Amino acid sequence: MTLWLVRRVLAAIAIVFAVVTLIFFAIHAAPGTPFLPGGDRHLDPVLVASLRARFGLDQPLPMQFAHYLSALVRGDMGESFRLQLPVKDALAAAIPNTVLLAAAALTIDFLLGIVIGAWQAARAREGSDAALTAVMLFGYSLPTFWLGLVLLLLLGDWIHLFPIGGAIDPVFHGSMSLGGRVLDRLRHLALPALTLGLVGAAGTARFQRAAMLNALERAFVRTARAKGLAEPVVLIRHALSNALLPTITLLGLALPFLLTGSVVVETVFAWPGMGKLAADAIASRDYPMVMATALVASIMVVIGNLFADLLYAAADPRVRPT
Amino acid sequence: MRRAAVLLIPVLLVSCSRSPAGCSGDFCGTVVFAAIGQPSTLLPPLGEALERDIHDQIFLKLADIGPDGNTIGDKGFEPQLADRWGWTDSLTLAFHLNPKARWQDGPPVTAGDVAFTFRAFSDSEIGSNYRENLSRIASVTAQDSATAVFHFRTRYPEMFYDAAYQLRILPQHLLDSLPYPRWRGSAFGRAPVGDGPYRFVSWTPDQSLELAADSTFFLGRPHIRRLIWRFAADPQTAIAQVIAGEADAIEVLLSPPNIDRAKKTAHLTVYPYAGSAYTFLDFNLHARGGSGPHPVFSDVAVRRALILATDRERMVTNVWGTAAKVPPAPIPQAWKALWFNDLPIPAFDTTRAKHMLDSAGWRDTGHTGVRQKGSRKLAFSIRVPSTSAARKQYAQLIQEQLRRIGVQVTIEESDNPTFQQKYHAGDYDAAIQTYVNDPTPSSGVPQTWRSTGDDNAGHYSDPAFDHQLDLATHAPTPDDALRAWKAAFVIFAADAPAMMLNAPDNVAAVDKRITNVRIRPDSYWAYLWTWRIPADRLIDRDRLER
Repeated sequence: MTLWLVRRVLAAIAIVFAVVTLIFFAIHAAPGTPFLPGGDRHLDPVLVASLRARFGLDQPLPMQFAHYLSALVRGDMGESFRLQLPVKDALAAAIPNTVLLAAAALTIDFLLGIVIGAWQAARAREGSDAALTAVMLFGYSLPTFWLGLVLLLLLGDWIHLFPIGGAIDPVFHGSMSLGGRVLDRLRHLALPALTLGLVGAAGTARFQRAAMLNALERAFVRTARAKGLAEPVVLIRHALSNALLPTITLLGLALPFLLTGSVVVETVFAWPGMGKLAADAIASRDYPMVMATALVASIMVVIGNLFADLLYAAADPRVRPT
Repeated sequence: MRRAAVLLIPVLLVSCSRSPAGCSGDFCGTVVFAAIGQPSTLLPPLGEALERDIHDQIFLKLADIGPDGNTIGDKGFEPQLADRWGWTDSLTLAFHLNPKARWQDGPPVTAGDVAFTFRAFSDSEIGSNYRENLSRIASVTAQDSATAVFHFRTRYPEMFYDAAYQLRILPQHLLDSLPYPRWRGSAFGRAPVGDGPYRFVSWTPDQSLELAADSTFFLGRPHIRRLIWRFAADPQTAIAQVIAGEADAIEVLLSPPNIDRAKKTAHLTVYPYAGSAYTFLDFNLHARGGSGPHPVFSDVAVRRALILATDRERMVTNVWGTAAKVPPAPIPQAWKALWFNDLPIPAFDTTRAKHMLDSAGWRDTGHTGVRQKGSRKLAFSIRVPSTSAARKQYAQLIQEQLRRIGVQVTIEESDNPTFQQKYHAGDYDAAIQTYVNDPTPSSGVPQTWRSTGDDNAGHYSDPAFDHQLDLATHAPTPDDALRAWKAAFVIFAADAPAMMLNAPDNVAAVDKRITNVRIRPDSYWAYLWTWRIPADRLIDRDRLER
């Protein structure tokens, strides 16, 4: 087990290094350059040249990469061109928000997906199953930005059920009690988490339905029924608990989906997380911030997969590494 | 467990309920702004558009331009830190500081602060965007603690404007010990101490920024007690926040549908004001990415024909409705005095355009629908940033109109950083560009259209035009300046280095409970400290005590 873990960690480091290398050269090779005015102001070539020199962008690319790596080893991610802040400070503020959003979206995704998938399997090939399959397929094919805008318009703009954008109410949050602050956070979290969670739930439900159908055909379910157990007990305790195993694998796969989805969703809902930070950084060619968000995202994905493997191993002794 | 969760819900709801607290009277009020984007620093030399809106509440200038927007001489300028000024000789201007002016941490504002500020704004290590505008000021000295003296290198009509308007005075006692290279990203830039009507309170990156009124402000206590900027990257989110009442004001509604929505929203008032941007189709007169003449646009007859063949009035109506006009020259609506309506701009005329192209040797000899001259097709591409819906729409309309006279146009879309890089490198045939301008044409027009201008990406060069620009920017009187500007624009129209497309009016939306709202084109919230909310219109967020 320890050796397996060491091997996985070493592989994870190699993957993260490969991602960082790829992103570094890709973002520098991409057209567009930092510090150019966005069109709203005029160009001062002296200013642009001095800023490029100050951040080492006038040096050959391999040298820039070497400097980047040596700084990274020392824990220095550089200064954001756009925010004029140390990158690690901006990340420290954004990561908790992204983790909160991802956790909320994952909860919606898996709770809803598992329940709907299991419910469909129990009524397989009935009219309600066919209808839900169509709904789930439709949901799974929805682009997150579109669903986000629809929810924003419907639940925020028209019904005023949830606030439009931001992580807190900037006027009242500071004067609320602890409970009020928690609720304020949850109200602001609702729309972005629903957007990400609903699209994810549609996919999870499809997966869960198939796994559950497979479990229902197994001998232990027939035995449980033959013993005269009530149908809900058969379905939940025997079939569902076994059908959950493949869904655990989805947990690791859901994280990259959530992180890429959050780039769009955080922008639409002005949610101050890593996705928005990454989107803004790419749009302004803020190289240090692009690198840092890619680095953190790749680490999160690698850890997420590792966690899913460990969870799977814990749930199923047959796949436990020795 | 389940019971505990059920019990928690009412507790959360109760604890979240807002109790309207005590502020009443004339000096309450919270204004929440929906801002598109977020500032990077609040240090004035390093700020851009959004930063300027905010730090202009914290830092004062020596004097500010008045509502008429005049930038020549000192006519209309309103005192800020300086309560009076005078010329010692033709190159020396002395500002006498208001003795009541104080930094928010206590010390008085001195002439030493003014001299310090000039040095900082002018230094290349700081890299201020305003540096170029100060290049004709040789030095600033402190004659005594209350008198700052500006020494100019040369005489020109906007000497006073440059001295008064470009500098937001900085506190020497707080910044003197900070080396220039460390100003970028400094703690002061994230929590500044100023001398203006509002004090800095807090800034949560990517979320919001709060200022509070300085009740001791020497020019008069601001009526609005709190200002909060909410940041959204997506313009539609920002506009939706204002429509939903989660924010009170937005400086631009951006498009006719948004303006219509705001007009139909009961709690909002819309405020149109002159825009400071103009958009144009720039013809690259050099071969794409090279230095030789462009195979199509080097011929002035072709450029004129292309302008004649596009119905710019109809295009502006299609894209902007009544919210924009076709400018007669490279000017935004804010420069009202330069909006000459008698410039020789030819009207839309495809027959004449076709004839001009025929005469220039571009004919559809192969009956392919595309004109050619020898083996060269009359074809070019238009670069547009993919982030601008209006510019993409314009590119498609131009493409279709030019197709009808045998010109093949392709559209190249790219994200804004790529667009700007390609544009400034001259890597384009034609490009649709937009510039937001200062209150004066004296900086923007030469930068973009003078033969030596830093932004002259299309390589337009006409010594006669340059000469008229020199006359305009050095004219001794406003009338002389206007005559020279007009002469320059006549030459510009004949040379046709670009097709002027639109100059939009801006429309802001502000909550109806806020009164005395005035908006200045160059600095949207310049008069914010004079806005007020009558006591009978206060809502919960106005009364909230902290």
